[in-house]
Amino acid sequence: MATAETKGRRARILVVDDSSLVRLYYLSALEKAGFVVEQAINGIEATEKVLDQDFDVLIVDVNMPGMDGISFVKDLRRRNEDVAALPVLMITTEAGEQDFADARAAGANYYLVKPVSEADLIRHVSALAGWAR
Amino acid sequence: MSPHERPVAASVTVTADDVQRLCEFLYRRTGMLFDGSKRYYIDRRLTERILATRSNRFDEYFAHLRSDAEHEIEHLINAFTVNETYFYREDHQLRCMTSNLLEDIVLRRSSDEPIRIWSLPCSTGEEPYSIAIWLMENWPAVDRYDIEIVGSDIDTRALKAASEGIYGERALMRLTNSIRERYFRPLPDGNLQIDPGLRDSIRFTKANLIETPSMNEYRNIDIVFCRNVLIYFDDASRRMAAENIYDCLRPGGYICLGHSETMSRISSLYQVCRFPDAIVYQKPEADDGNR
Repeated sequence: MATAETKGRRARILVVDDSSLVRLYYLSALEKAGFVVEQAINGIEATEKVLDQDFDVLIVDVNMPGMDGISFVKDLRRRNEDVAALPVLMITTEAGEQDFADARAAGANYYLVKPVSEADLIRHVSALAGWAR
Repeated sequence: MSPHERPVAASVTVTADDVQRLCEFLYRRTGMLFDGSKRYYIDRRLTERILATRSNRFDEYFAHLRSDAEHEIEHLINAFTVNETYFYREDHQLRCMTSNLLEDIVLRRSSDEPIRIWSLPCSTGEEPYSIAIWLMENWPAVDRYDIEIVGSDIDTRALKAASEGIYGERALMRLTNSIRERYFRPLPDGNLQIDPGLRDSIRFTKANLIETPSMNEYRNIDIVFCRNVLIYFDDASRRMAAENIYDCLRPGGYICLGHSETMSRISSLYQVCRFPDAIVYQKPEADDGNR
Protein backbone atom coordinates (compact mmCIF):
# COMPACT_ATOMS: atom_id res chain seq x y z
CA MET A 1 0.00 0.00 0.00
CA ALA A 2 1.40 3.35 -1.09
CA THR A 3 0.58 5.27 2.11
CA ALA A 4 2.42 2.78 4.28
CA GLU A 5 5.66 3.16 2.33
CA THR A 6 8.49 5.53 2.90
CA LYS A 7 12.12 5.50 1.78
CA GLY A 8 11.14 2.72 -0.63
CA ARG A 9 10.09 0.33 2.14
CA ARG A 10 7.17 -0.22 4.46
CA ALA A 11 7.13 2.51 7.10
CA ARG A 12 7.99 1.44 10.64
CA ILE A 13 5.82 2.75 13.44
CA LEU A 14 6.40 2.64 17.20
CA VAL A 15 3.24 2.63 19.32
CA VAL A 16 3.85 3.82 22.89
CA ASP A 17 0.91 3.25 25.25
CA ASP A 18 0.63 1.56 28.65
CA SER A 19 -2.60 -0.28 27.79
CA SER A 20 -1.97 -3.51 25.90
CA LEU A 21 -5.51 -3.45 24.52
CA VAL A 22 -5.01 0.05 23.10
CA ARG A 23 -1.62 -0.90 21.66
CA LEU A 24 -3.20 -3.91 20.01
CA TYR A 25 -6.05 -1.80 18.64
CA TYR A 26 -3.63 0.65 16.97
CA LEU A 27 -1.27 -2.13 15.96
CA SER A 28 -3.89 -4.19 14.17
CA ALA A 29 -5.22 -1.10 12.36
CA LEU A 30 -1.72 -0.07 11.28
CA GLU A 31 -0.68 -3.56 10.22
CA LYS A 32 -3.85 -3.92 8.19
CA ALA A 33 -2.87 -0.68 6.39
CA GLY A 34 0.55 -2.12 5.60
CA PHE A 35 2.76 -0.57 8.28
CA VAL A 36 5.36 -2.46 10.29
CA VAL A 37 4.64 -1.90 13.97
CA GLU A 38 6.62 -2.15 17.20
CA GLN A 39 5.31 -1.42 20.68
CA ALA A 40 6.54 0.09 23.94
CA ILE A 41 4.73 0.39 27.27
CA ASN A 42 6.17 3.76 28.38
CA GLY A 43 8.76 6.42 27.61
CA ILE A 44 11.62 4.41 29.07
CA GLU A 45 11.01 1.39 26.83
CA ALA A 46 10.31 3.70 23.88
CA THR A 47 13.68 5.46 24.36
CA GLU A 48 15.48 2.12 24.29
CA LYS A 49 13.68 1.13 21.10
CA VAL A 50 14.21 4.38 19.19
CA LEU A 51 17.92 4.33 20.03
CA ASP A 52 18.16 0.73 18.90
CA GLN A 53 15.90 0.56 15.84
CA ASP A 54 14.91 2.65 12.88
CA PHE A 55 11.40 4.17 12.98
CA ASP A 56 9.51 6.55 10.71
CA VAL A 57 6.73 7.67 13.05
CA LEU A 58 6.13 7.45 16.78
CA ILE A 59 2.61 7.30 18.21
CA VAL A 60 2.80 8.40 21.83
CA ASP A 61 0.18 8.35 24.58
CA VAL A 62 0.46 11.17 27.13
CA ASN A 63 -0.49 9.44 30.39
CA MET A 64 1.76 6.49 31.14
CA PRO A 65 3.35 5.30 34.37
CA GLY A 66 7.15 5.20 34.45
CA MET A 67 7.88 7.92 31.92
CA ASP A 68 4.94 9.83 30.43
CA GLY A 69 4.61 10.89 26.81
CA ILE A 70 5.45 14.58 27.35
CA SER A 71 8.74 13.79 29.17
CA PHE A 72 9.61 11.18 26.55
CA VAL A 73 9.15 13.57 23.62
CA LYS A 74 10.97 16.42 25.40
CA ASP A 75 13.87 14.09 26.07
CA LEU A 76 13.82 12.78 22.50
CA ARG A 77 14.00 16.31 21.05
CA ARG A 78 17.04 17.12 23.17
CA ARG A 79 19.08 14.20 21.86
CA ASN A 80 21.75 14.75 19.25
CA GLU A 81 21.19 11.61 17.28
CA ASP A 82 18.93 11.38 14.23
CA VAL A 83 16.10 10.31 16.53
CA ALA A 84 15.59 13.92 17.65
CA ALA A 85 13.81 14.66 14.36
CA LEU A 86 11.43 11.69 14.40
CA PRO A 87 7.81 12.67 13.66
CA VAL A 88 5.62 12.24 16.75
CA LEU A 89 1.85 11.81 16.76
CA MET A 90 0.69 12.43 20.31
CA ILE A 91 -2.56 10.78 21.38
CA THR A 92 -4.33 11.45 24.62
CA THR A 93 -7.65 11.66 26.40
CA GLU A 94 -7.05 15.30 27.41
CA ALA A 95 -8.66 17.85 25.10
CA GLY A 96 -7.87 21.13 26.94
CA GLU A 97 -6.05 24.11 25.39
CA GLN A 98 -3.22 23.68 27.88
CA ASP A 99 -2.85 20.00 26.92
CA PHE A 100 -2.42 20.95 23.26
CA ALA A 101 0.06 23.66 24.27
CA ASP A 102 2.08 21.23 26.43
CA ALA A 103 2.26 18.67 23.63
CA ARG A 104 3.35 21.33 21.13
CA ALA A 105 5.92 22.69 23.56
CA ALA A 106 7.31 19.20 24.15
CA GLY A 107 7.80 18.80 20.41
CA ALA A 108 4.85 16.72 19.17
CA ASN A 109 4.14 17.16 15.45
CA TYR A 110 0.45 16.42 15.76
CA TYR A 111 -2.01 15.93 18.58
CA LEU A 112 -5.12 13.73 18.50
CA VAL A 113 -7.73 13.30 21.22
CA LYS A 114 -8.98 9.79 21.95
CA PRO A 115 -11.09 8.11 20.74
CA VAL A 116 -9.14 8.01 17.50
CA SER A 117 -10.85 6.24 14.61
CA GLU A 118 -8.94 3.78 12.49
CA ALA A 119 -9.31 6.09 9.46
CA ASP A 120 -7.93 9.12 11.35
CA LEU A 121 -5.06 7.12 12.74
CA ILE A 122 -4.01 5.86 9.31
CA ARG A 123 -4.46 9.30 7.72
CA HIS A 124 -2.24 11.09 10.24
CA VAL A 125 0.39 8.36 10.46
CA SER A 126 0.60 8.26 6.65
CA ALA A 127 1.02 12.01 6.52
CA LEU A 128 3.76 11.95 9.15
CA ALA A 129 5.47 8.99 7.45
CA GLY A 130 5.49 11.16 4.31
CA TRP A 131 7.46 13.82 6.20
CA ALA A 132 10.05 11.25 7.02
CA ARG A 133 10.43 10.27 3.38
CA MET B 1 -25.73 -57.01 39.61
CA SER B 2 -28.80 -54.93 40.45
CA PRO B 3 -30.16 -52.51 37.85
CA HIS B 4 -28.73 -49.68 39.92
CA GLU B 5 -25.19 -50.92 39.60
CA ARG B 6 -23.06 -50.26 36.58
CA PRO B 7 -19.62 -51.60 35.83
CA VAL B 8 -17.38 -48.63 35.09
CA ALA B 9 -14.21 -50.62 34.54
CA ALA B 10 -13.29 -54.26 34.61
CA SER B 11 -12.86 -54.23 38.37
CA VAL B 12 -14.73 -51.09 39.45
CA THR B 13 -18.44 -50.82 40.11
CA VAL B 14 -20.30 -47.78 41.38
CA THR B 15 -23.75 -47.91 42.89
CA ALA B 16 -26.51 -45.33 42.91
CA ASP B 17 -25.59 -44.80 46.53
CA ASP B 18 -21.97 -44.06 45.68
CA VAL B 19 -23.05 -41.59 43.03
CA GLN B 20 -25.26 -39.83 45.52
CA ARG B 21 -22.44 -39.54 48.04
CA LEU B 22 -20.21 -38.13 45.34
CA CYS B 23 -22.86 -35.67 44.19
CA GLU B 24 -23.39 -34.44 47.73
CA PHE B 25 -19.68 -33.96 48.09
CA LEU B 26 -19.45 -32.06 44.79
CA TYR B 27 -22.42 -29.96 45.80
CA ARG B 28 -20.86 -28.94 49.09
CA ARG B 29 -17.63 -28.05 47.35
CA THR B 30 -18.83 -26.33 44.19
CA GLY B 31 -22.56 -25.70 44.49
CA MET B 32 -23.05 -27.68 41.32
CA LEU B 33 -25.92 -30.08 41.44
CA PHE B 34 -25.89 -33.30 39.44
CA ASP B 35 -28.87 -35.59 39.67
CA GLY B 36 -29.64 -39.13 38.59
CA SER B 37 -30.59 -38.00 35.09
CA LYS B 38 -26.94 -37.16 34.49
CA ARG B 39 -25.80 -40.58 35.62
CA TYR B 40 -23.97 -41.40 32.40
CA TYR B 41 -22.07 -38.13 32.58
CA ILE B 42 -21.17 -38.69 36.23
CA ASP B 43 -20.12 -42.32 35.79
CA ARG B 44 -17.83 -41.47 32.93
CA ARG B 45 -15.97 -38.78 34.83
CA LEU B 46 -15.93 -40.70 38.07
CA THR B 47 -14.44 -43.74 36.32
CA GLU B 48 -11.78 -41.53 34.82
CA ARG B 49 -10.74 -40.38 38.28
CA ILE B 50 -10.97 -43.84 39.92
CA LEU B 51 -8.66 -45.23 37.23
CA ALA B 52 -6.36 -42.21 37.30
CA THR B 53 -5.85 -42.57 41.06
CA ARG B 54 -5.39 -46.35 40.78
CA SER B 55 -8.15 -46.85 43.33
CA ASN B 56 -9.67 -50.33 43.37
CA ARG B 57 -13.11 -49.42 44.62
CA PHE B 58 -15.30 -46.37 44.93
CA ASP B 59 -14.85 -46.33 48.74
CA GLU B 60 -11.11 -46.26 48.34
CA TYR B 61 -11.38 -43.44 45.83
CA PHE B 62 -13.81 -41.51 48.01
CA ALA B 63 -11.42 -41.67 50.99
CA HIS B 64 -8.64 -40.43 48.72
CA LEU B 65 -10.91 -37.62 47.57
CA ARG B 66 -12.01 -36.55 51.02
CA SER B 67 -8.45 -36.36 52.28
CA ASP B 68 -7.68 -34.29 49.18
CA ALA B 69 -4.63 -36.46 48.57
CA GLU B 70 -2.66 -35.22 45.58
CA HIS B 71 -5.17 -32.38 45.13
CA GLU B 72 -7.81 -34.85 44.08
CA ILE B 73 -10.66 -32.42 44.78
CA GLU B 74 -9.30 -30.08 42.16
CA HIS B 75 -8.83 -32.93 39.68
CA LEU B 76 -12.39 -34.06 40.24
CA ILE B 77 -13.80 -30.55 39.81
CA ASN B 78 -11.77 -30.21 36.63
CA ALA B 79 -13.25 -33.44 35.35
CA PHE B 80 -16.79 -32.33 36.16
CA THR B 81 -16.80 -28.85 34.67
CA VAL B 82 -17.72 -28.59 31.05
CA ASN B 83 -15.30 -26.59 28.99
CA GLU B 84 -16.86 -26.35 25.62
CA THR B 85 -17.55 -23.00 24.08
CA TYR B 86 -16.61 -20.90 21.06
CA PHE B 87 -15.70 -17.36 20.04
CA TYR B 88 -18.51 -14.81 19.60
CA ARG B 89 -21.02 -17.14 21.26
CA GLU B 90 -24.31 -15.29 21.86
CA ASP B 91 -22.85 -12.21 20.21
CA HIS B 92 -26.11 -10.29 20.64
CA GLN B 93 -24.93 -9.72 24.22
CA LEU B 94 -21.59 -8.42 22.99
CA ARG B 95 -23.53 -6.07 20.70
CA CYS B 96 -25.61 -4.98 23.69
CA MET B 97 -22.39 -4.26 25.59
CA THR B 98 -21.07 -1.89 22.91
CA SER B 99 -24.45 -0.41 21.90
CA ASN B 100 -25.90 0.20 25.35
CA LEU B 101 -24.03 -0.92 28.45
CA LEU B 102 -20.71 0.83 27.95
CA GLU B 103 -22.35 4.07 26.90
CA ASP B 104 -24.26 4.09 30.16
CA ILE B 105 -21.23 3.07 32.23
CA VAL B 106 -19.09 5.80 30.69
CA LEU B 107 -21.75 8.47 31.33
CA ARG B 108 -21.94 7.60 35.01
CA ARG B 109 -18.20 7.43 35.58
CA SER B 110 -16.87 9.93 38.06
CA SER B 111 -13.24 8.86 38.14
CA ASP B 112 -10.42 7.61 35.95
CA GLU B 113 -10.82 4.10 37.31
CA PRO B 114 -10.66 1.40 34.66
CA ILE B 115 -13.78 -0.10 33.14
CA ARG B 116 -13.79 -3.63 34.51
CA ILE B 117 -15.30 -6.53 32.59
CA TRP B 118 -15.38 -9.99 34.12
CA SER B 119 -15.91 -13.28 32.33
CA LEU B 120 -17.01 -15.82 34.92
CA PRO B 121 -16.62 -18.68 34.29
CA CYS B 122 -14.23 -18.05 31.43
CA SER B 123 -13.58 -21.72 30.66
CA THR B 124 -10.74 -22.00 28.13
CA GLY B 125 -10.71 -18.27 27.32
CA GLU B 126 -13.01 -17.96 24.31
CA GLU B 127 -15.32 -15.53 26.10
CA PRO B 128 -12.83 -13.01 27.53
CA TYR B 129 -10.88 -12.98 24.25
CA SER B 130 -14.15 -12.51 22.36
CA ILE B 131 -14.98 -9.53 24.58
CA ALA B 132 -11.59 -7.93 23.85
CA ILE B 133 -11.80 -8.57 20.10
CA TRP B 134 -15.39 -7.36 19.98
CA LEU B 135 -14.42 -4.12 21.75
CA MET B 136 -11.56 -3.45 19.35
CA GLU B 137 -13.72 -4.19 16.33
CA ASN B 138 -16.93 -2.52 17.43
CA TRP B 139 -16.44 0.13 20.10
CA PRO B 140 -15.07 3.35 18.62
CA ALA B 141 -14.07 4.60 22.08
CA VAL B 142 -11.92 1.56 22.89
CA ASP B 143 -8.72 3.61 23.09
CA ARG B 144 -10.38 6.32 25.19
CA TYR B 145 -10.69 4.27 28.39
CA ASP B 146 -8.56 2.00 30.46
CA ILE B 147 -10.29 -1.36 30.13
CA GLU B 148 -9.54 -4.31 32.39
CA ILE B 149 -10.78 -7.72 31.33
CA VAL B 150 -10.54 -10.58 33.81
CA GLY B 151 -11.37 -14.21 33.08
CA SER B 152 -11.99 -16.50 36.06
CA ASP B 153 -12.84 -20.14 36.42
CA ILE B 154 -12.91 -22.82 39.10
CA ASP B 155 -11.11 -25.22 36.71
CA THR B 156 -7.36 -24.66 36.78
CA ARG B 157 -6.85 -26.82 33.71
CA ALA B 158 -9.20 -24.57 31.74
CA LEU B 159 -7.34 -21.50 33.01
CA LYS B 160 -4.04 -22.91 31.80
CA ALA B 161 -5.54 -23.55 28.36
CA ALA B 162 -6.98 -20.02 28.39
CA SER B 163 -3.55 -18.47 28.94
CA GLU B 164 -2.06 -20.64 26.21
CA GLY B 165 -4.85 -19.50 23.90
CA ILE B 166 -4.65 -22.23 21.27
CA TYR B 167 -7.87 -22.96 19.37
CA GLY B 168 -9.14 -25.26 16.67
CA GLU B 169 -11.71 -24.72 13.97
CA ARG B 170 -14.69 -25.55 16.18
CA ALA B 171 -13.95 -22.72 18.61
CA LEU B 172 -13.16 -20.30 15.80
CA MET B 173 -16.10 -21.11 13.50
CA ARG B 174 -17.85 -17.75 14.02
CA LEU B 175 -14.78 -15.62 13.33
CA THR B 176 -14.10 -14.11 9.91
CA ASN B 177 -10.75 -14.57 8.20
CA SER B 178 -9.93 -10.94 8.75
CA ILE B 179 -10.38 -11.33 12.53
CA ARG B 180 -8.36 -14.54 12.51
CA GLU B 181 -5.52 -12.77 10.71
CA ARG B 182 -5.57 -9.77 13.02
CA TYR B 183 -5.74 -11.46 16.39
CA PHE B 184 -4.27 -14.94 15.96
CA ARG B 185 -1.10 -16.59 14.74
CA PRO B 186 -1.17 -19.82 12.78
CA LEU B 187 0.54 -22.86 14.30
CA PRO B 188 2.13 -25.63 12.24
CA ASP B 189 -0.62 -28.10 13.23
CA GLY B 190 -3.36 -25.89 11.75
CA ASN B 191 -4.61 -24.49 15.05
CA LEU B 192 -4.47 -20.78 15.80
CA GLN B 193 -2.88 -19.13 18.83
CA ILE B 194 -4.13 -15.87 20.25
CA ASP B 195 -1.90 -12.84 19.65
CA PRO B 196 0.49 -12.35 22.61
CA GLY B 197 -0.60 -8.71 22.96
CA LEU B 198 -4.20 -9.78 23.29
CA ARG B 199 -3.28 -12.51 25.73
CA ASP B 200 -1.40 -10.02 27.90
CA SER B 201 -4.37 -7.69 28.02
CA ILE B 202 -6.44 -10.26 29.92
CA ARG B 203 -5.86 -11.46 33.46
CA PHE B 204 -6.83 -15.04 34.27
CA THR B 205 -7.62 -15.98 37.88
CA LYS B 206 -9.17 -18.84 39.81
CA ALA B 207 -12.54 -18.10 41.40
CA ASN B 208 -15.42 -20.09 42.83
CA LEU B 209 -18.83 -18.46 42.43
CA ILE B 210 -20.28 -19.81 45.63
CA GLU B 211 -17.21 -19.32 47.79
CA THR B 212 -17.85 -15.85 49.17
CA PRO B 213 -14.29 -15.22 50.47
CA SER B 214 -12.76 -16.00 47.07
CA MET B 215 -15.26 -13.62 45.46
CA ASN B 216 -14.38 -10.80 47.88
CA GLU B 217 -11.22 -9.90 45.97
CA TYR B 218 -13.33 -8.73 43.05
CA ARG B 219 -14.91 -5.34 43.47
CA ASN B 220 -16.16 -2.45 41.32
CA ILE B 221 -16.80 -4.60 38.30
CA ASP B 222 -18.83 -2.85 35.57
CA ILE B 223 -19.99 -5.84 33.53
CA VAL B 224 -20.07 -9.54 34.42
CA PHE B 225 -20.64 -12.21 31.81
CA CYS B 226 -21.90 -15.23 33.73
CA ARG B 227 -23.39 -17.42 31.09
CA ASN B 228 -24.67 -20.96 31.19
CA VAL B 229 -23.24 -21.91 34.56
CA LEU B 230 -26.09 -21.20 36.99
CA ILE B 231 -28.08 -23.91 35.22
CA TYR B 232 -25.81 -26.43 36.97
CA PHE B 233 -26.65 -25.05 40.41
CA ASP B 234 -29.59 -25.68 42.69
CA ASP B 235 -31.74 -22.78 43.91
CA ALA B 236 -29.73 -22.07 47.04
CA SER B 237 -26.35 -22.05 45.29
CA ARG B 238 -27.73 -20.07 42.38
CA ARG B 239 -28.91 -17.43 44.78
CA MET B 240 -25.63 -17.38 46.62
CA ALA B 241 -23.74 -17.01 43.33
CA ALA B 242 -26.03 -14.18 42.21
CA GLU B 243 -25.55 -12.38 45.52
CA ASN B 244 -21.78 -12.85 45.46
CA ILE B 245 -21.68 -11.31 41.99
CA TYR B 246 -23.95 -8.52 43.16
CA ASP B 247 -21.38 -7.57 45.77
CA CYS B 248 -18.62 -7.59 43.15
CA LEU B 249 -20.49 -5.17 40.88
CA ARG B 250 -20.19 -1.42 41.01
CA PRO B 251 -23.60 0.23 41.61
CA GLY B 252 -25.14 0.50 38.15
CA GLY B 253 -23.04 -2.47 36.94
CA TYR B 254 -24.53 -5.16 34.73
CA ILE B 255 -24.67 -8.94 34.63
CA CYS B 256 -25.32 -10.88 31.42
CA LEU B 257 -26.66 -14.41 31.82
CA GLY B 258 -27.04 -17.15 29.22
CA HIS B 259 -30.03 -16.87 26.88
CA SER B 260 -32.01 -19.58 28.67
CA GLU B 261 -31.37 -18.15 32.12
CA THR B 262 -33.33 -15.51 33.99
CA MET B 263 -32.44 -13.65 37.15
CA SER B 264 -36.02 -13.05 38.25
CA ARG B 265 -36.33 -16.56 39.64
CA ILE B 266 -32.93 -16.40 41.32
CA SER B 267 -32.66 -13.08 43.13
CA SER B 268 -34.73 -9.93 43.44
CA LEU B 269 -31.69 -7.71 44.03
CA TYR B 270 -31.26 -6.87 40.37
CA GLN B 271 -33.26 -4.66 38.02
CA VAL B 272 -34.22 -6.05 34.64
CA CYS B 273 -32.96 -3.99 31.68
CA ARG B 274 -34.48 -4.72 28.29
CA PHE B 275 -32.20 -3.50 25.53
CA PRO B 276 -32.81 -4.08 21.82
CA ASP B 277 -30.12 -6.78 21.62
CA ALA B 278 -30.43 -8.49 24.99
CA ILE B 279 -32.03 -8.62 28.39
CA VAL B 280 -29.47 -7.96 31.10
CA TYR B 281 -29.64 -7.32 34.84
CA GLN B 282 -28.39 -4.29 36.69
CA LYS B 283 -27.31 -3.62 40.25
CA PRO B 284 -29.36 -0.52 41.19
CA GLU B 285 -27.34 2.69 41.16
CA ALA B 286 -28.69 3.69 44.53
CA ASP B 287 -27.10 0.66 46.19
CA ASP B 288 -24.45 1.95 48.56
CA GLY B 289 -23.02 -1.47 49.36
CA ASN B 290 -24.96 -2.02 52.59
CA ARG B 291 -27.23 -4.77 51.55
